Amino acid sequence: MPEVRSVLAAVPTGLLVAGAAVAGPGPIADPAVGWDRLWEEMLIDITVIGLVFAAVAAWFMWRYRRRDRAEGDPPRLSATAAVGWAVIPAFVFMADDFYLAAKGWELWKVYRTVPEGALEVRLDSAMWSWNYTYPNGAVTVNELRVPAGRPVLLRMTSRDVVHSHFIPDFRVKEDSMPGRITYLWFYPKEPGEHVVTCAEYCGLLHSRMAGKVIVMAPDAFEAWYRAAGQKAAAEAASGGEEV
Amino acid sequence: MGATLRSWLFTTDHKRVGILYLIGSLAAFAIAGVMAMLMRIELTNIGPDITDNPQDYNVWLYFHGAAMILGFQIPALTGFLANYCVPLMIGARDVAFPRLNALSVWLFWAGIVLALATFVIPDPPDVMWTGYPPYATMTWGNTAFYSFTVLLLGFSSILGGVNFLTTVAYMRAPGMGWNQLNVFVWSIVVAFIIQLIFVPVLGTAVTMLLFDKYLGTTFFQPANGGDVLIYQNLFWFYSHPAVYVILLPFLGITYEIVATFARNRVFNYKMVVYGGFGGVLLLAGEVWVHHLYTAGVPDWLRVGQMVTTLLISVPVGLLMIGLVGTLYRGSIEYRTPMLYALGVLFFFLIGGLTGIPNAIASLDLHLQDTYFIPGHFHYVMAVAGTFAIFGAVYYLFPKMTGRMYRERTGKLGFWLTFIGMNLVFMPMMIAGIEGMPRRYYDYAQFPQVEGMQQLMTVGAFVILAGALVTLWNWLHGALRGEPAPANPWGSRSLEWTAAPSPPPPGNFPVPPRLEPGWSPYAYGERA
Amino acid sequence: MAQQGAELDRELGGRLAAAAHEGEGHAAGEHAHEWETSPWPLTISVGILLALPLAFAFRFVYGQPLLAVIMLGLGTPLIVAGVVGWVREGLGAHELGLSPAAMPWFILAEALIFLTLFASYWVMRLGAPEWPPAGTVDLPRLVPLAMTAILVSSSFTIHAAEARLAEGRHGAFLRWLALTMVLGTVFVLLSAFEWRELIHEGFTPATNAYSTAFFSITGFHAAHVIVGLGAFVALLLPALRGRVSEPFVKSASMYWHFVDVVWLFVVSQVYFW
Ligand code: HEA
Ligand code: HEA
Ligand code: CUA
Ligand SMILES: [Cu+2]
Repeated sequence: MPEVRSVLAAVPTGLLVAGAAVAGPGPIADPAVGWDRLWEEMLIDITVIGLVFAAVAAWFMWRYRRRDRAEGDPPRLSATAAVGWAVIPAFVFMADDFYLAAKGWELWKVYRTVPEGALEVRLDSAMWSWNYTYPNGAVTVNELRVPAGRPVLLRMTSRDVVHSHFIPDFRVKEDSMPGRITYLWFYPKEPGEHVVTCAEYCGLLHSRMAGKVIVMAPDAFEAWYRAAGQKAAAEAASGGEEV
Repeated sequence: MGATLRSWLFTTDHKRVGILYLIGSLAAFAIAGVMAMLMRIELTNIGPDITDNPQDYNVWLYFHGAAMILGFQIPALTGFLANYCVPLMIGARDVAFPRLNALSVWLFWAGIVLALATFVIPDPPDVMWTGYPPYATMTWGNTAFYSFTVLLLGFSSILGGVNFLTTVAYMRAPGMGWNQLNVFVWSIVVAFIIQLIFVPVLGTAVTMLLFDKYLGTTFFQPANGGDVLIYQNLFWFYSHPAVYVILLPFLGITYEIVATFARNRVFNYKMVVYGGFGGVLLLAGEVWVHHLYTAGVPDWLRVGQMVTTLLISVPVGLLMIGLVGTLYRGSIEYRTPMLYALGVLFFFLIGGLTGIPNAIASLDLHLQDTYFIPGHFHYVMAVAGTFAIFGAVYYLFPKMTGRMYRERTGKLGFWLTFIGMNLVFMPMMIAGIEGMPRRYYDYAQFPQVEGMQQLMTVGAFVILAGALVTLWNWLHGALRGEPAPANPWGSRSLEWTAAPSPPPPGNFPVPPRLEPGWSPYAYGERA
Repeated sequence: MAQQGAELDRELGGRLAAAAHEGEGHAAGEHAHEWETSPWPLTISVGILLALPLAFAFRFVYGQPLLAVIMLGLGTPLIVAGVVGWVREGLGAHELGLSPAAMPWFILAEALIFLTLFASYWVMRLGAPEWPPAGTVDLPRLVPLAMTAILVSSSFTIHAAEARLAEGRHGAFLRWLALTMVLGTVFVLLSAFEWRELIHEGFTPATNAYSTAFFSITGFHAAHVIVGLGAFVALLLPALRGRVSEPFVKSASMYWHFVDVVWLFVVSQVYFW
């Protein structure tokens, strides 16, 4: 069974950016915040590129509409110009690509490096519900209760087909599938409720495979957690008697 | 009448085979479009609208995706356009293997028939066009028809590939060098190389699916030593390159239209062909993991393919420069095909650039399988690709039918589809950023996107109106249009200068003879 | 622009008219004035539709074996008739001339089918906790060796046939071709025999990951051998009556060599690794 680890650590990092915000001691980097920031940057990037191309094309369309001449008279490109028109733009585009890749990589590490001290919950997905098992044995269905201010790690697998555990508000999603264990983590900060929904087609009730992340104040969570754990233990005990 | 019907059913002529492809693929488009309308109506409001059975929706969506990609776009581009244009453009009297060509079109039709069976069989397939196991091997739906549809269409495509690569290599008019080929011919060459390498992979993958479900093998059954990710990797190993099988020919024909109506040489031809097409060919097979960013494949694969995916923007960017550059110092006339071609330019820009956030693995962790993805690929494929195909049909209309369509009606159809497409697919992307997942029959968890969903439904009706206007224009033009001259656009390419409209059997009354230095884009040099 | 178009058109019209005059003499034969037709492609397609998807679905999806048999009964004759008719038409036609140039492309596609199967096999095998997995029986060692010897020699015999044909020795060509076909048939029979034994011992496609890979890969390969044999039949029958197309022979033999090479991978990967 694959362990939770960042394979990236093994990849030579010198190639791209170095000063990445790797989670460690100190403040925990929140992927959701990083996502919003990178999204904005990327949006500006592609908008500028799009506008440049569109503006040039629109200008040509206006400027060279058919008027006096019946045919175009394009300049003959010299060999240097022809090569230049291929190589220079290629390098400009590549520069942008590597910049975006570096940024993406930086955020990727945040997404895939689980901070110390995360609350680890096991998720079994099945058509069409989410089943969470806590370290103390507490079990919930379609309701992930977590304390505010502590990262949460989900180790996921599936009992039947592929599902995808998606929490839009925390900008995280990872498939759960039979025969493999995958993971994701997120960082709930304030008490509140967030939608969990299934993002991988899984048949009839795919669109109804929804649940909630309920972020609770730490002490409220603690109380609930202990009670739920005791209840689970009691059930296990009585279940044991029956057998 | 009987004789003419036979001469169509038994034809081996590339032009007629091409038109048979066109009819089949437009039928697929229309029916898959009707499915889209049903889906749109169903999604208008939260809760059931026209069906309370999610299964109906799933089957519509399965058919919509599979038929649009495998039944409409790929056959329209590599079947209809390749068949109609390539032999004419290279000055050949037919393709290398006319009978094989006929077999290929009828296998395609067999695939269409099988896909249409979806609507009459019990337990129709409901596996989406991606057919992921283990769902595809567990469902009650008829996964066999999914596999066989893919196999028939795939085999048809392989025959086409063998045929066209041989045709272009051996049947060019005497004196036509590789650097004198139309850009479109190049795009077909590259598209078919991609098909030949990757289609067999998909064919084998869906065969394994078939074996797993019905013959008990365990390729994708983890409980018995298999692995579900094998299928996903194989599927995308084909299906990403497949998007370039769509992209290259549709850009190729856009180049032809733009060069013709700008009466201009293609800007930096060698950069377009070797840099653009060649670069896409080189990168096409190394990026499939960008569809698996959330699927738990090893991290080094995900990050590595983020880089290769982003690099695709380099050759594609060169293609965009070539296209915009072809306008430079041209003499642009705005007729219907040209409007569609410029539409391709703008929509592809939006669609291609919205591929960038998906390509950035960390951003995709939120976007994957939300409406942002359909937003991206509808722009790049459903809108830009369809516009290229519509533009191409208008462009070749005089050649194919010997008659003219109506210009004003054509432009009306263009503007309706143009507006409608934006009304559907812009809100779709915004709904995706809000988190609305794909393939949802209902979206009670996302009340905030209901307004956008309604706008999309309105937009779909506008597209429908545009498509009907276009269809009417074609039918009317084909039956009643004014007779068309051999070269109504004043193009320099062989299909217009050396063949009458429509071309007779054997294409060229006189085998074309090329003067030294001949080019399909020799504008501005005669006068 | 309209003017320009009309001008070009007139020019073209003039040239076309002139050509038609001049063409009456020699170009008429070269350029058919009739639409060329052939009923066989459509026939084969309908046959394939009936005999593959429909028969399969009736048998395995809807549990209607009778209908499946009917579909097979309708489809197979159509395919056979189509192939026969096609070969008859094709032997005289120009199009076979390019087939050796096209065959490498087809082989490329075929090679990727096997690559896909092998890749899936490797993934399952290298990811497995133990190999061979539970349920595997001892695979025979001698039979595959014999099969290898047979198939490799058939590559030589078909090469000999090709060489004799080039020398114009028709009788020798026929004999070498027939020998190749015998070797191929023995190969398929051995394969079928081996399958029967294994299934008898309880090693079926559903047993485990190994059996899945084993039966799929050897099955795909055997299917290719059968297709190759089919091509040889299509060569042999007209050749018996003296009609041979050299490019066709060349393509068929190229295909046969390919099937042979793939077998070497099958043996080494599936039997002896
Ligand atoms: C014709 C079809 C087509 C084309 C051409 C593309 C082109 C691209 N696609 Fe798209 N894509 C699809 C069809 C297509 N796609 C489909 C059907 C799906 C979904 C399948 C499914 O799940 O059902 C999909 C899904 C998809 C995903 C998976 C998303 C997910 O499921 O999470 C990704 C991720 O990387 C992606 C990326 C890209 C990129 C980077 C390109 C690039 O090729 C785009 C390159 C173009 C440009 C970038 C614009 C022009 C260039 C310039 C102006 C130069 C300068 C630009 C820069 C330097 C950035 N696409
Ligand atoms: C080329 C491909 C293509 C095209 C053209 C379209 C066209 C359209 N698509 Fe499609 N779409 C896909 C490919 C395409 N799509 C794919 C691959 C998916 C993903 C499937 C999956 O998840 O597995 C998808 C998914 C998809 C969804 C997502 C559903 C979901 O995830 O739950 C939606 C929702 O609105 C949608 C809508 C539309 C609409 C409104 C159109 C409109 O543009 C359609 C307009 C067309 C018509 C209205 C046709 C009717 C016209 C006539 C009858 C007469 C005219 C005829 C002629 C001119 C010949 N599509
Ligand atoms: Cu579970 Cu979709
Ligand atoms: Cu892709």
